[in-house]
Amino acid sequence: MAMASLGGNDTIALDGARKARGNMTQSRIRVSIVLLLAVFGVVAGRLIQLGNETVDTTIEGQSRAALTATRPPILDRNGLEMAVDIKVPSLYAEPRRIIDVDEAVEKLTSVMPDLDRQWLRNKLTGDKGFVWIKRELSPAMEEKILHLGIPGIDFITESKRFYPGGPTASHVLGSVNVDNQGIAGIEKYMDSEDVGVLQAVGLARGRALEPVNLSIDMRVQNVMRDQLEDALTRYKAIAASGVMLDVHTGEVLALVSLPDFDPNEPATALKAGRLNAITAGKFELGSVFKTMTIAGALESGKVKLTDSFDARFGVKFGRYTITDFHGKHRILTVPEVYKYSSNVGAIHIMQAYGKEAYRAFLHKMGFDGAPQIELPERTESNIPQTFSDVTAATAAFGHGISVTPMQMAVAISALVNGGTFIPATLFERTPQQALAVSHPVVSEATSERMRYLMRLNATDGSGSLGDKLARGYRMGGKTGTAEKVENGRYAANKNRNVFASAFPMEAPKYAMVILVDEPKRENDHSGDTAGWNAGEVTGRIIARVAPMLGIAPNLDPALDSELVPPELR
Amino acid sequence: MIRGLNIVLAVTSLVALVGVYGLKYRVEETATRKAELESRIEHQQATLSVVKADWAYLNQPSQIEPIVERHADELKLAVADEKQFAKFEDLPMRPVSEPDSAALTDLIKSLDAGIDPAGGKIEGQ
Repeated sequence: MAMASLGGNDTIALDGARKARGNMTQSRIRVSIVLLLAVFGVVAGRLIQLGNETVDTTIEGQSRAALTATRPPILDRNGLEMAVDIKVPSLYAEPRRIIDVDEAVEKLTSVMPDLDRQWLRNKLTGDKGFVWIKRELSPAMEEKILHLGIPGIDFITESKRFYPGGPTASHVLGSVNVDNQGIAGIEKYMDSEDVGVLQAVGLARGRALEPVNLSIDMRVQNVMRDQLEDALTRYKAIAASGVMLDVHTGEVLALVSLPDFDPNEPATALKAGRLNAITAGKFELGSVFKTMTIAGALESGKVKLTDSFDARFGVKFGRYTITDFHGKHRILTVPEVYKYSSNVGAIHIMQAYGKEAYRAFLHKMGFDGAPQIELPERTESNIPQTFSDVTAATAAFGHGISVTPMQMAVAISALVNGGTFIPATLFERTPQQALAVSHPVVSEATSERMRYLMRLNATDGSGSLGDKLARGYRMGGKTGTAEKVENGRYAANKNRNVFASAFPMEAPKYAMVILVDEPKRENDHSGDTAGWNAGEVTGRIIARVAPMLGIAPNLDPALDSELVPPELR
Repeated sequence: MIRGLNIVLAVTSLVALVGVYGLKYRVEETATRKAELESRIEHQQATLSVVKADWAYLNQPSQIEPIVERHADELKLAVADEKQFAKFEDLPMRPVSEPDSAALTDLIKSLDAGIDPAGGKIEGQ
């Protein structure tokens, strides 16, 4: 009992051997649980670490998928490819995996002699994970480089845009940069519309996209480009451009602007003077506007085809007198004003229904603002908001106001198709779809009279040279010869010649505007006004494309006589 | 009883071990094959895209036109002239003719006699 007396707080533990062993077991279990928890903790920690690790898969700031992103093929209205994607290998290096830089440089330059050695050495040295060496190589070159067997060098298959037609439709298609983003034309438009969105959400990666059908007919496009190139040499012109529309749907069948570029080499697009003159150029289109002046006058009801206007004397505005180029100096009827392209007559016709009404008519015909078309390259026309007496007078024969040729083509379509204004489009459109976006601008009666006047000008007037070249295809049109403005003055011997036309005139299907810039006489017997160049080009184009478009020639004189409106019969 | 169970479990785990090991290798093999096929497909798609582009290039009017011009003389090619077009309405109607009854009777008679004029002609060719 002696032990019991040791301190009051001390308890006496009398443990048996069994209990002591039990305690030990318990502590062992505890230790092993702690150990196990620690092990699992380490595992879990590692898992979290792995989960949070972000692997940098970008290639110089771009994801790998973006490089292989595809663009939809672009087809013309007959299904011919205008732009396709081809898969090409691009060579890259991982400098941190390259063992012997000198050897790699030596070997690479042996198959690609155009690479700069110093530049390559700098690229391959260092600890970077990715550097481009050369993009868009040929498959043959890929094979050669693979055979070199250099470690740390590999290929990525990139999508490259290829335009099989070369420069044929350059201003329509535009081009893409090395990263496959549209930088001009339809390519840029598509990026802003849907391809860009698709690529952004990752849908356009490495899979085939639905092809995009354009309204362009590559056959017509090729003929137009061919003839405009011919015009450049034949008339020693500095530029030429043209556009053809389907008058019932507003579809653009061909759009050419020379000089152009090769979309396969986008850098060529940046040279001076390569802009798309049809939508991004605005010009004084000259006498072509008499078509609008007369159409507006007939539509107002204040002028009839049988009315006569005094073109004996020039029209005086202060110090200036406006006279006629081929002056007839007599009293002219409306068809004669159009046929002889009388400036004085056009001014009187405009004055007969008022300058405000003429200004409003130009607005109605879509000449204000930029042309409606799916191209990023567009410019706004330049027409004063209100006409003074002088500006109205010059505008009556197309001077002092600049519009894009596209707007003129759309307006001509509207005048000949029965009076329906249909905005132009580069995508396929059915007549039903066109109806939904169209609105009437002139009456069927006015349209009929305009068809007569345009055909009359082609048979008897300034369009006869072109009509001879397109015999039987019943073309009709109006010439415009505008002196170019240089340093704020009209340059007397530099013209911009225009021919706005439609065919076949008894039931027009297509409208066309052709521009030839600074043409010279073809030979001593020819002239340099629009009929001699823009008119002839139009005739040659029609003669070649009309059979393709299913228009058979017909020399029946009844077709022309049926065009004559009842009041003139 | 417990010992029996243990043996069964040990055997099962051994089999599973071998199985998983084998499966791992098979999966690796399949993965290699898949990668191989994928790279082959990619290669073939690349070739196909180039061939397609080539076809499109050869079909361009701008490509065909010079060929046509080069052979225009030899093949006597020219832009269709307005005289070369015709309409169905311009064609004269087929002349109306009575069936030649005498010849028909002769034919039937000769057929009855066992002589087929058409058959003879074919043999003669």
